[in-house]
Amino acid sequence: MIRFILADLRRLWAGAVVVVLLVALATALGVTVTLQERALRLGSARAADKFDLVIGAAGSETQLVLSSIFLQPAPLPLMPGEVLAKLSKDPRVTWVAPVGFGDSFAGYPLVGTTRALIGSTVSGFAAGRMFEREGEAVIGAAVNLSVGAEIKPMHGTAQMGGETHAGVVYHVTGKLPPTGTPWDRAILVPIQAVWHVHGLGHDHEHEEEEHHEGEALQVTQAAAADEHGHTPLEATREHAGDLRHEGEAAEAGGHDEHADEDHDHHGTIDADASIDENFAADAPGLPAVLVKPKTIADAYKLRQEYRNGNTLAVFPGEVLTSLYATLGDARMVLSAVAAGSQGLVAAALVLVTVTHIGQRRRQIGALRAFGAPRLSVFAIVWLELFLLVAVGIGLGFLTGLAAARLIADAFTVRSGIILPVGFTGEDWRMALILLGAAAVLSAVPAILAYRQSPAAALRA
Amino acid sequence: MLSLHIDNLAKSFPGLGSPVLLVDFLAIAAGERVAVTGGSGSGKSTFINVVTGLERPTSGKVVWSGEDVTRFSETARDRWRAEHVGLVMQDFHLFPGLSAVENVLLPARLARVADAALTARAHDLLKSVGLYRPDQKIETMSRGEMQRVAIARAVLRKPGVIVADEPTASLDLEAGEVVGRLLLDIAGETGSTLIVVSHDQRLIGRLDRRLTLGAGRIVADGRGEEVAA
Repeated sequence: MIRFILADLRRLWAGAVVVVLLVALATALGVTVTLQERALRLGSARAADKFDLVIGAAGSETQLVLSSIFLQPAPLPLMPGEVLAKLSKDPRVTWVAPVGFGDSFAGYPLVGTTRALIGSTVSGFAAGRMFEREGEAVIGAAVNLSVGAEIKPMHGTAQMGGETHAGVVYHVTGKLPPTGTPWDRAILVPIQAVWHVHGLGHDHEHEEEEHHEGEALQVTQAAAADEHGHTPLEATREHAGDLRHEGEAAEAGGHDEHADEDHDHHGTIDADASIDENFAADAPGLPAVLVKPKTIADAYKLRQEYRNGNTLAVFPGEVLTSLYATLGDARMVLSAVAAGSQGLVAAALVLVTVTHIGQRRRQIGALRAFGAPRLSVFAIVWLELFLLVAVGIGLGFLTGLAAARLIADAFTVRSGIILPVGFTGEDWRMALILLGAAAVLSAVPAILAYRQSPAAALRA
Repeated sequence: MLSLHIDNLAKSFPGLGSPVLLVDFLAIAAGERVAVTGGSGSGKSTFINVVTGLERPTSGKVVWSGEDVTRFSETARDRWRAEHVGLVMQDFHLFPGLSAVENVLLPARLARVADAALTARAHDLLKSVGLYRPDQKIETMSRGEMQRVAIARAVLRKPGVIVADEPTASLDLEAGEVVGRLLLDIAGETGSTLIVVSHDQRLIGRLDRRLTLGAGRIVADGRGEEVAA
């Protein structure tokens, strides 16, 4: 029987290939949507796994998490530096780390942070060591640089056409092992260096900063998105710098306060300066701090405490859950589209096979006439169509997996988030359901063949 | 070999005023070689379909060696036909993509009776009909060769009756001659009753008896006995 079916399929190979491809494409569409959506959930959840609590200035919760954990370049308002100082001394906190960003190098974001964050979230180094000086940097596993490489940061990103910070050079001292998070694509530098590059937090300017920082932090988002094309953080900091320089200009008397507005307000770093990670209340403004509470109870207390008018505390998980709900809605729409296409393909297949059975009436009649049992005729027709659909479903699952992996790889290259694409029990259940549907679908022409009178079929 | 007795047979189709086949009585002895002739629409194909159990008559009996096949269910008729009837048709009804021997064995395989002995017999039969390449694909054969494969298939399970419907109609003179001779020889060797529907006078002339159908009735019998409709 199998030989007969294979011979028949070989004879009708073009039609068979079309049927297989149609089924494969319809299946692959659904499989890709399912795998990709699940991988995105898992990947993003894993990426946020190590960060328990994020605190930033009042604003969008989603944006706060996307920028501080997923390192998406987007405007964030600043919160006072005293929040960091207060959290550093809070007994409920295991560690707290500021994050400052806005600069990039060769397409990789520069993130200002502390050794505490790196040491607490990553186990060891793939190469080299932690940064110990202001001019040193540690790179993520996916950053295509080596230990010893020089980094000359630029404002914003290359796409935004930012300018390079003159005279600022970091040296790579260490490379981290892969984490499967956006931090793999990050260049981590001391937060102190980020502040200094942007003219904030210099010891000799403490008084000026104390005087003007409050004003700088009042800079609105609209003002932050300034005419220089800087990110709001940079713009905010630059405006803070402007204010400071204005103060200096006033003291100097008669100095043209606009002459050096564009460039001179950028600070520089002392590459050999040691790093001070004891943050005082006069620390510069910050877009976000990442907090590791000691207990779950502490986490909830801190979240509650810092959800006031000026600051916003969120668990990354809660933001992701709401994002997943949106993702789930999108998935439902896409799945409905995929199911619709599968339904159309199924209907087309029934139509094609019923027509095909009509054309093969004489052959089926002859088989019966020569003594083939009715059940054999049923089995031949059923198995032939079921084989095609089953191969199509199998091919569709493989194609869907390949497509999801390609998309995931492209996403990982862009974001650093590793998306774990793979089949689970749910997928195998879906495969069984599809095969069951194929079995039922294949029975339609088989029943027609079974019920066909051999004499009538031979007369056709 | 099987004998046939038909009693009060009628076959009607919906929408037609009178039966397309009406046979009050017909007896064919076991081993007899009978030609069935008649013009187009005379009821030859219906006659073949009814006596082979492909179609159930509207009324009457078709008794093969004591078994009334009209009483059988469709499945039982399939099984009986597979076991007792060897069919040869004008259009061969061979299956492309399969070899000669695979075609011979296909019905037996589908009925799950193709053992080693039957496979060996299939090869022998192909040789006996003059085909020495059992693995040759059907679609590469001439029409005469195809009909010889069809004959080998028909007699594989040593049927009690061989029914051939216009076996030489689509063949040239020479191939038709070969096929006609083969049918008679093989029926003789297996002792099968032979019923041949044909317009081929040379083939008809070699058979023992000639039944002529007209308007669904047997209007003449080769032995001179006119059968009343």
